[in-house]
Amino acid sequence: MIEAIVIGLIAAVAVIAIGAVVVTIWNNRKSQTAGQTKSVRQLSTFGVGSSPFERQSAALSNKSGEVRVGQSGHGSVKKPSDTLRSRFVALGVLAGVIFGSLTVKLYSLQILSSSEYRSDAEDNLYSTVRTPAPRGYICDAQGTPIVKNRTSQTVLADPDVVNDRDVMRRLSVVLGVPAAVVRQRIQDSSTGAQNRRVVMSDARLRDVAFIAEHADAFPGVSVESRSIRDYPYGAMAAHLLGYTGLPSAEQLDVEYEGREIFSNDTVGKSGVESMYDGLLSGDHGQRRVTVDVLGNVLSVVSETQPVKGSDVHLTIDARVQYVADKALADLIAPEGVLGEGQGVGGAVFVMDVTDGSVVALSSYPTFEPEQFTGSIPVDTWDLYTAEIAHAPLNNRVINGLFAAASTYKPFTSIAALDYGFADYKSEWNCKGSWDGFKTGVAQKCWEHSGHGKLNLHEGIVNSCDVVFYEIAKSFFDHGPDGSGEVSETAIQDVLAKYNLDKATGIDLAGESHGRIPTPEWKAEHWRNYPAEAQWRGGDYTNMIIGQGDVLVTPIEIAVAYGAIATGKIVKPHLLKEVRNAAGDVVVTFEPEVIGEPDVNPEYLSFVRTALRGVITDNESTAKNFKKYGLEAAGKSGTAEHVDKGDDAWFVAYAPYENPKYVVSVVIEQGGGGSAVAGPIAARVLSAALDAYNGTSEISPMRLAGYSGKAVEYKTEGSARTD
Amino acid sequence: MPLPQISSIRTPDRSLQGAMNTRRSGGLSLPMPFFAIALLLVTYGLIVCWSATSNDPDYNFTRQLVGVGLGAVCMVFFYRFDYRHFANMTTILLVINVALILSPHLPIIGVEAKGAQSWINIGMQVQPGEFAKVTVVLYAASLLARYGGTLDDAREYAKVVGLLLLPFLCIMTQPDLGTGLVYLFISAVVLVMGGAKPKYLFITLFLCVMAVVAVFALDEVIKNSTGEYKLLKQYQRNRLLVFLDPDANTTAEGYNLAQAKIAIGSGGLFGKGLTMGTQSSMGFLPEAPTDFVFCVLAEELGFFGAMLLIGLYIALVASSIRIARNCDDLFGMLIVCAIVGMWLFQILENIGMCCGLMPITGIPLPFVSYGSSFMLVNFCMLGLIGSVWSHDSSLGRKGGYGS
Repeated sequence: MIEAIVIGLIAAVAVIAIGAVVVTIWNNRKSQTAGQTKSVRQLSTFGVGSSPFERQSAALSNKSGEVRVGQSGHGSVKKPSDTLRSRFVALGVLAGVIFGSLTVKLYSLQILSSSEYRSDAEDNLYSTVRTPAPRGYICDAQGTPIVKNRTSQTVLADPDVVNDRDVMRRLSVVLGVPAAVVRQRIQDSSTGAQNRRVVMSDARLRDVAFIAEHADAFPGVSVESRSIRDYPYGAMAAHLLGYTGLPSAEQLDVEYEGREIFSNDTVGKSGVESMYDGLLSGDHGQRRVTVDVLGNVLSVVSETQPVKGSDVHLTIDARVQYVADKALADLIAPEGVLGEGQGVGGAVFVMDVTDGSVVALSSYPTFEPEQFTGSIPVDTWDLYTAEIAHAPLNNRVINGLFAAASTYKPFTSIAALDYGFADYKSEWNCKGSWDGFKTGVAQKCWEHSGHGKLNLHEGIVNSCDVVFYEIAKSFFDHGPDGSGEVSETAIQDVLAKYNLDKATGIDLAGESHGRIPTPEWKAEHWRNYPAEAQWRGGDYTNMIIGQGDVLVTPIEIAVAYGAIATGKIVKPHLLKEVRNAAGDVVVTFEPEVIGEPDVNPEYLSFVRTALRGVITDNESTAKNFKKYGLEAAGKSGTAEHVDKGDDAWFVAYAPYENPKYVVSVVIEQGGGGSAVAGPIAARVLSAALDAYNGTSEISPMRLAGYSGKAVEYKTEGSARTD
Repeated sequence: MPLPQISSIRTPDRSLQGAMNTRRSGGLSLPMPFFAIALLLVTYGLIVCWSATSNDPDYNFTRQLVGVGLGAVCMVFFYRFDYRHFANMTTILLVINVALILSPHLPIIGVEAKGAQSWINIGMQVQPGEFAKVTVVLYAASLLARYGGTLDDAREYAKVVGLLLLPFLCIMTQPDLGTGLVYLFISAVVLVMGGAKPKYLFITLFLCVMAVVAVFALDEVIKNSTGEYKLLKQYQRNRLLVFLDPDANTTAEGYNLAQAKIAIGSGGLFGKGLTMGTQSSMGFLPEAPTDFVFCVLAEELGFFGAMLLIGLYIALVASSIRIARNCDDLFGMLIVCAIVGMWLFQILENIGMCCGLMPITGIPLPFVSYGSSFMLVNFCMLGLIGSVWSHDSSLGRKGGYGS
């Protein structure tokens, strides 16, 4: 600072000195030469006063004449400037102010804040170019990559190219895209107002070369080579893999440990890509370069290479996943047209009951993650969010909430046994309809003709609703509204032991959780409609057969059935291990048992026997499973809706003796559980066991996502065939 | 009261021509310090200009040298020419002015560039508005010289102001506000130095301020009715906004100003050395050799380089004022003052805009900026001042014309 002031003073002195020297030299010179002209000038002054040309302006010459006379009295030289002395002072002051203020300003810029501007100049000159690191692969349990990378040529344009009709027309011709589309893409500011706009991602090399060769004809257009995601199996496992894209504003703002995200990076937006983004993303390469104003790199100062992201190996088996995806597609859209098959959507979830490894996770309708790479075009987004598309982006396994229907019966049976409202020998008589509460409106069994006499085992095997209505009535009669011996949440407590109202904790973001209706919940839910808020007998009978207000996700039911099969609730997981760029395993997933439901083992084995009976004693179901030679246990379910078709459920595990895999299948508006969902459960379960036993002959192929082809789904009349 | 009429001007007596050349015939035929300073300035300017153009193939330093050569010829011509011939040519000067300034509107030679009809193409592109600066100086000085240093008649004053506004009005048809402002400043200096009554000057200043306010107000009204500004162009608004709030602007003008300040500031005390300026040679600085040439100087030669230039300017202005002070002819004095005014304004505006003191306009820096038109003009100005100095003679004045 002191140094700066000194410099300033020196400069000021120097400027003054220059001025002084000039003036002095000038004065000396003048004084030498001026003397000779003096007398002449005096003469002239006199002469002017009497000049014959005086008449030009009487007023003016009079005035000047006066002054001149006055001045000649002093004996000085008569000059026009003498009368205007003050104006010369003003001119001098003006010059002084101008040069003074410029000097002060320059002093403050160049001396006082020079260091800031110097660093600004360096910021201009040097720039750090970050080369994005290729993302790690995502592989299945066998190590087969199901998400890879490839290089793609992207044609980008500056936002202002939209003003240049010629360039847009040329782009349209070269890339074979209609001019209107080119304009629309350049106008699309969804990736940020300042960012270059993607005119064509994955352009043909030939077109890219043409643009590069004729750069003059394409001002503002650039081509970038990018490593983008490659999906060899298309839409397979799309929901669990997720898609990648440019980071959102929030992602850019949040600071991740050890990870820098820049606006043109690729980040996971959903599924595994998002969940394990930190592992997959790798480290940016950095090049510090000098650039000119156009961004041309003039020289490289330093460079570090990008480090590819780690490979994430999943517990998914591509072969099983393929079968699950294919089975759903074949059923729901056999010709690729949504709405022409059975149901409008579906989910299949397969898990290893011993350690929670997810073998397949499938949701339909589905999408191809490749279409979502980079930015999502508006028309694609509209297509996927249309009502007729039935939410292809929704992962029905973890976010689909369905009425559990008869798949609830094993758990409510345990409650019945627990509280003694049923035992192995209890018998009920099903006449096809039931009006235990004497309301006058009979509740029907799905078998309208009635099952006749049956015990609890037969009740589960035949899925007889009347048996469970009777049990529900017992709970009601002994509850607070009756004798008061049991709590009003006696059944719910048993259901809650199986976490049917809790998210399973799978390593995917945004998992939903089911709902077990309780009086408390109902009061809260209907608080504005007190007439509806009361907990009634009908709530018992609805809940006990998994209808009414009951909601579960396919993953919750599967985990709960796993707990019936093994006695333990495991935490489902997708991650098997992580391998770094060198191929070394750096992370291995440790299976996690969340808990063991506190249930009498005797009841558990009774329920298992009953579930085995469901498979063996129902003719069509038995056939479905025998086809694959499966020794499975399971339960069908058909969720009834007032306004749309039934949802078909089937949950099963196998082998019965030594359970390995559990599968849950739900087909939205698909119809009867055993008829529609059962065959898929059998097919997927067998594929999983084949893969486990090493006898699988399936080789996965590319699958298509939702194509936009859809018709209105014709709902069949509600007719349960549990 | 007979008013001075343009037609009543007399020509100098030819028999006295020889007697007029008092200084030219003497041993000292040049105003030495003045021309020494001018020589230094031109040399310094050429060095900076060479550095600024050395990295930019769009500019040709040889052309600048040609401009200097031509300028030297013009200077000698004006120097030897008795400036007093111009005193009676007020009408002719006005006609030349109007013709020059309006010539870009002519169909064949007129060239439109950057939204303004400012150029003509006569084998090479020239800006007649620049050359008109010389004639505007002579025109304004000859107009005021008639009043002999006192202008206190309101009607006369109004007439003079009206006549002085003509070149400005003409150039605004191109439009070229920057050059127009130079004309206005020249006119203002001549008015002040020509002895106009201070009261009138203040009233004029007040009216000018009101006129500017009125333009802005009218523009708002036009915008409200038609939806867009008509009087001031958007870039002019941007420049003004940038000037008022340099940080909050992302337009091209804001970028230019920011880069200019970075160039000047990063120069520091001694600069980065000739041709080593990164801001200019890497192209961050827009229009480096022309409008922003001062930034190149400040970046490459630092505070000392900038002070050297300012010192030379001070010396030039001081010696010019000196000549004016010692001139015993009002017309000659007014010419010198007008030229000094022009230089002052161009220096203030050009350096001022580079460091954020003034709004951005495209006004070149005398003797430094790339561009042969303005170089020629400056040499003509030097020649005129020399002419005033050398033809300063009581005999000449007396015999030539009364004032």
